Amino acid sequence: MGEAVVKVENLTYSYPRRENVLVNVSFEVKKGEVLGIIGPNGAGKSTLCKALNGLVPHFYGGRIGGKVVVAGMDTMKHTVAELSTKVGLVFQDPEDQMSGLALTVYEEVAFGLMMLGFPREEIDARVRDAIKKVGLGGLEGRSPFELSGGQMQRLAIATVLAIKPEILVLDEPTAQLDPIGKFEVFSVIKKLAEEGSTIVVVEHEIEELATFADNILLLDEGRVRAYGSAREVLEKVDQLRKYGVDPPSVTELTYILNKEVGTDFEIPITIEEAYKIYAEALGVS
Amino acid sequence: MPEEATVETVEVTPTGAKILAVVMIPTIAALNYVGGVLVEMLKAPIWGDTWATMLGTLISGFVVGAAGGFLYNIIMAFTVWGLPNWVWGFANVAIALITWFMMKMGWTDLKKPMTYIMAIILFGFIYPIFTTAISIGLFGGGPLWKPLPAAIYAAVLSSTGNFWLANYIQNVSTEVPDKVISYIISLIIASRVPKRFILAK
Amino acid sequence: MGISLSLLKRTAVEVETFVQRLDGRVKFLYFIWASILVYIFYDFILNLIFIIVTLLLAIYARVAKPIAMTLLVIIVPWIAIATPILSLPLGFPWNKTIIYYIKFAGYEIPVYLEGLGWGITWPLRIGVCISTAMLFYLTTNQARLVATMFKMKVPFRFIYMLIATFQLIPLLVDEANTIFQAQLSRGLRTDVGIIKKLYYYLALVIPLTLSALNRVQIRAIALESRGFSAPVTKTLMYEAEFKWMDWIFLSTIIVATIVLAYVYITYGYSPIAGLEYIWG
Ligand SMILES: Nc1ncnc2c1ncn2[C@@H]1O[C@H](COP(=O)(O)OP(=O)(O)OP(=O)(O)O)[C@@H](O)[C@H]1O
Ligand SMILES: [Mg+2]
Repeated sequence: MGEAVVKVENLTYSYPRRENVLVNVSFEVKKGEVLGIIGPNGAGKSTLCKALNGLVPHFYGGRIGGKVVVAGMDTMKHTVAELSTKVGLVFQDPEDQMSGLALTVYEEVAFGLMMLGFPREEIDARVRDAIKKVGLGGLEGRSPFELSGGQMQRLAIATVLAIKPEILVLDEPTAQLDPIGKFEVFSVIKKLAEEGSTIVVVEHEIEELATFADNILLLDEGRVRAYGSAREVLEKVDQLRKYGVDPPSVTELTYILNKEVGTDFEIPITIEEAYKIYAEALGVS
Repeated sequence: MPEEATVETVEVTPTGAKILAVVMIPTIAALNYVGGVLVEMLKAPIWGDTWATMLGTLISGFVVGAAGGFLYNIIMAFTVWGLPNWVWGFANVAIALITWFMMKMGWTDLKKPMTYIMAIILFGFIYPIFTTAISIGLFGGGPLWKPLPAAIYAAVLSSTGNFWLANYIQNVSTEVPDKVISYIISLIIASRVPKRFILAK
Repeated sequence: MGISLSLLKRTAVEVETFVQRLDGRVKFLYFIWASILVYIFYDFILNLIFIIVTLLLAIYARVAKPIAMTLLVIIVPWIAIATPILSLPLGFPWNKTIIYYIKFAGYEIPVYLEGLGWGITWPLRIGVCISTAMLFYLTTNQARLVATMFKMKVPFRFIYMLIATFQLIPLLVDEANTIFQAQLSRGLRTDVGIIKKLYYYLALVIPLTLSALNRVQIRAIALESRGFSAPVTKTLMYEAEFKWMDWIFLSTIIVATIVLAYVYITYGYSPIAGLEYIWG
């Protein structure tokens, strides 16, 4: 893994109407890494995402301390528009992210590039590429509002991919979707992760997160409660529960077995791992 | 929770107001439109397409309210009402202005009679002077194409023979109920809007 | 509101005739030009000619139906209400020339030319403004509309606000419908007294407004994150350019202007209908 694309040091932030939403938050994300952010409602996860592209503090105002450097740019010294070429932000509700100017999927993906003044030929090439990447090929001429939730959220991902940002920030991208939509979106995220994109993702579906996150950061009341590799964070079942986060069920099950029954299993964080561990223990492999 | 804020912090001035206005204005315009649609669905006895202008003024200030109302009129003028109707956009600016004035004077408390008295005077009687000027200058000052106001128009015209008075009374008869009710609606909604949406000072 | 909503809903696929291919600026000019002329002249026959020409263009472009519907809904009832009130002896102050007597229950009721002319000419003036505006709007698709405004140096923020309103309205109407249906199933009725109706109106409008406002902030953030405020010239995927058709149309307008100027100077403001301009 290469250099750090995101470097956050002692980030402390208050909205104009709310104090200390983030307190002394520090972490970094290296090129090609996936960082999962988890935590209860109101923990400050969305605020943290917005700090990565400068919406916090520029859009909202407020008090800020510490340092956020993304792709070599100090967010305090650059506008959101400048940062938007480096950081692609995807929100929860896909409908709310639509530009309001585009009639078709194609135009929607082109919107950001149009705003940034890219030449027309380049826009065309990038748009086709981004649409293909999220698997919406063939739907270029559709209205964005006729898409299913999963398709619309993949469209939202395509709109930021077209800008070729150095880092993708996804804030609960599956929270509003039905199971099929969730599956579609996770497939895209996993594919991007495999291809080496740098991703920060806030996600409540912890079982899914465990399958593709390299590192995990547990946020609560604006403070970092745990930060480390996915395994380090997720196997601390008591700690997760204390902060209102449900651990993956296989992790929890094994943890309880170890604690209550006295078994001595290695703690799995994904179903696949659990399958291996249990198959071995049962001697069926 | 002990306060561990050890790092130095700086105050940042927000830059979001401009882009918020860019989104708020079309929302106000669209709400004006939908307000009218819902009136049709319910067959309620008002126009119902100005309370959003008032609401926009109450929560985001005069400029946003006026621009939202103006935009609504422009769009209606281009699609269904015809070009001269864009002049009604100025009527919406007048409504935003009156709302802003009422807000500044503190006539926004629905428990106080003053709020109703001033709403009836300003929206019901002063504002129609403005609409009367428009409807005569640009639309010839004929009767409206709704039966009740048209009947009032005909009655005033035949009893007094005063063309301007007939227009004014016709407008008062539609504006008093519509604008006063719209103002009340906008105040009720504004009181339910969470604080963080309120940009107007 | 049925037609008006269908007018606002725009799709990407549509017919292409020369009217659609005309530059947006030319069609915009046509509608401003026609609207100004019908206010300079006071002649319902001239107004009718403008409406007929516009409708012919609209028929060719296959957008005549919504225009005709709108004229039927707004202009026809307006004339129907205005002409009797103004032309019968009901006090219209400029009435003086009696052109006819209606025999009714033994009375002879006079019909005045001034009120009649007024009651027909004014609605038709508005009719010209409506039909030409709609022709422009209905035959200029969104990409062309944006390009037209862009060429006319309208700031991009304003272009955005206009187009975004078109997109927001159907979304909000859908939402309003959903809330309306939900309230219906909870006992909302439309055959109630005025006070109850207003109460229901509030019950519909409050949730709708709060949800719309909720979305404002996130939409603004999403726009900002996509470089909306970047201080660069935006790239448009479609560029507006004058073609020979546009020059022909433009020349026709210029020739027509010269002819009409001559007519005005020679025959006055009411060359065909011969009406007397009344007030002022
Ligand atoms: N614009 C704002 N102004 C003031 N306070 C805000 C604003 N946005 C969020 N907050 C507050 O800051 C805190 C953190 O909010 P944030 O949205 O970052 O949490 P979150 O972890 O994303 O929560 P959720 O899981 O509900 O999405 C919350 O208490 C919230 O009420
Ligand atoms: Mg959040």
